[in-house]
Amino acid sequence: MKKTVDVSIPLGPVHPCWKEPVRLKCETAGERVLRTEVELGYMKKGIERIMRGRPWQEVMFLAERVCGICSVVHNMVFIETMEEISEIAVPPRAAYLRVIVNELDRIASHILANFSYCYTIEHETLAMYLLNTRETVLDNLERLTGSRINTAYMIPGGVRFDLLPEDAAAMLADLAKVEDEMRRYTGIFETGPLIALRSKGIGVMSREEAIRSHTVGPTARASGVEDSDLRLRHPTYRELGFTQITRTEGDNFARVMVRFQEVFQSIDLIRKCVDNLPDGPIRGGGLCKAGSTSYAGEAPRGELTYTITTDDYGRVVDIAIRTPSIMNIEACAHSMIRDAASIADVTSTFISSDPCIACNER
Amino acid sequence: MRSIVYYVREFLRPEWLKKFFFAKTAPLETPSYFKGYPTLTGKECTQCLSCMMICPAPGAIAVLRKKEGWEPEVYPGHCIRCGLCVEACPEGVLSSGRILDVTGRDKTAFASWYHLEVDDNLCMRCGNCCVSCPVNRELDPQLAGTGTSASDEVIMRIEGGRVRILHEEKCTGCKTCELNCPNRAIRVARMVEGVHIEEAEA
Repeated sequence: MKKTVDVSIPLGPVHPCWKEPVRLKCETAGERVLRTEVELGYMKKGIERIMRGRPWQEVMFLAERVCGICSVVHNMVFIETMEEISEIAVPPRAAYLRVIVNELDRIASHILANFSYCYTIEHETLAMYLLNTRETVLDNLERLTGSRINTAYMIPGGVRFDLLPEDAAAMLADLAKVEDEMRRYTGIFETGPLIALRSKGIGVMSREEAIRSHTVGPTARASGVEDSDLRLRHPTYRELGFTQITRTEGDNFARVMVRFQEVFQSIDLIRKCVDNLPDGPIRGGGLCKAGSTSYAGEAPRGELTYTITTDDYGRVVDIAIRTPSIMNIEACAHSMIRDAASIADVTSTFISSDPCIACNER
Repeated sequence: MRSIVYYVREFLRPEWLKKFFFAKTAPLETPSYFKGYPTLTGKECTQCLSCMMICPAPGAIAVLRKKEGWEPEVYPGHCIRCGLCVEACPEGVLSSGRILDVTGRDKTAFASWYHLEVDDNLCMRCGNCCVSCPVNRELDPQLAGTGTSASDEVIMRIEGGRVRILHEEKCTGCKTCELNCPNRAIRVARMVEGVHIEEAEA
């Protein structure tokens, strides 16, 4: 049963702060916002229905078109699900290359999320700085895979292109620049007194609430939920010695800072991958078989689950995608935006939970 | 009045006009690694249709008969620039960015073939699939209206009242049989495998 909110201020579906259409209905008393409710359904694509009955080499391209911000991870989780169904082993070099591309995509996604938070609290200068840095990351994705967003880099049993030593060197040089710039921007964000006024202690979600509402990803990690990163269970990340970043404050500031810290962590992971890149083939072959399984991977916003049933010839018979934002958006409306001081805090809190509506409605 | 005169003077200076009309922004350059729409390299197409078989976007590529042989044509409105056709082509007819060089260097390729499958419970032995198949028609012009044929070279024929698939590897995946089947008994499945070339030849 839907909670009824006495709507006095509707935000959206078209709102300058939202990247995608969604409506937030707010119940206010004077300036204070008492309760909010989320209304979704403005951009349903029906992409799971389109996927059914198609072979994997078509679904692979549809999967990465679910979301334009985290497209690489959709491709990766779909391909890893197919590999788990068909018991295909990935060559070690391909597994490391996958991590490199996935982390580049994660950096781009986190920077975009922080851009939109800075934009929402009207710190446009920092926002534009961040977008500028994101371009460098996307250029590196293009150098590796040939395209900036929909890369289509992974196939069952390997990846499509190899990484040349000179490309790796150019990428590391670019990443050093990105790291340098991000250190400066993180410093600006961390120490800015006006940013702190808009961010610290606003939209607080406690650890218990985060666990009860099943939040995932940076939103959960900012509230101090341990063991909430699926990269801890991924074999390649485990080899690389991945550790989770957790903060305890649970407010807007913590959520943005977790993403800033994860950018540095991702840069370190890419460096480790390039240093320890094993030699060998990048494709192992292998045919997709019949089966049914559910597999989850860590998207920039949290746990992404694909439940797939295939037939003997690699066609997808049934598919269900559960994206991370669905939990985060509900938790945001119920736990974070409670008795907010003003409408301005509602928009910034909502954006700080990094809602991805395209993922959400598929 | 004085201000208008000032502005006219200011903007009619040759330096300013030059700067205004000949902006010095560096021209945008497409990087060499950009995956564009596939273009022809000039090598001869053997009409194996691998590019059409692997293409994930409906109607993005077609191998057409030109005056001097066959030639693939890419339709930019449908193409999603994934570059699979470039990787799948065994002759290197197509090229997109540096994918062709990269696949040559890494020795990667896509092996793909078709699998024909007839559901005996749904099939009513009408023979439409064997008659409509364009490859069948080319291999055996004497193909009878019931789908029976004396030739052993055809993809499939009716034998003893049921469809028998003889040469699956000759299928080009046009799916004409699927379209002409009144009962949806025949299904064409596309099998694709990403491989290293040494492996495939071994």
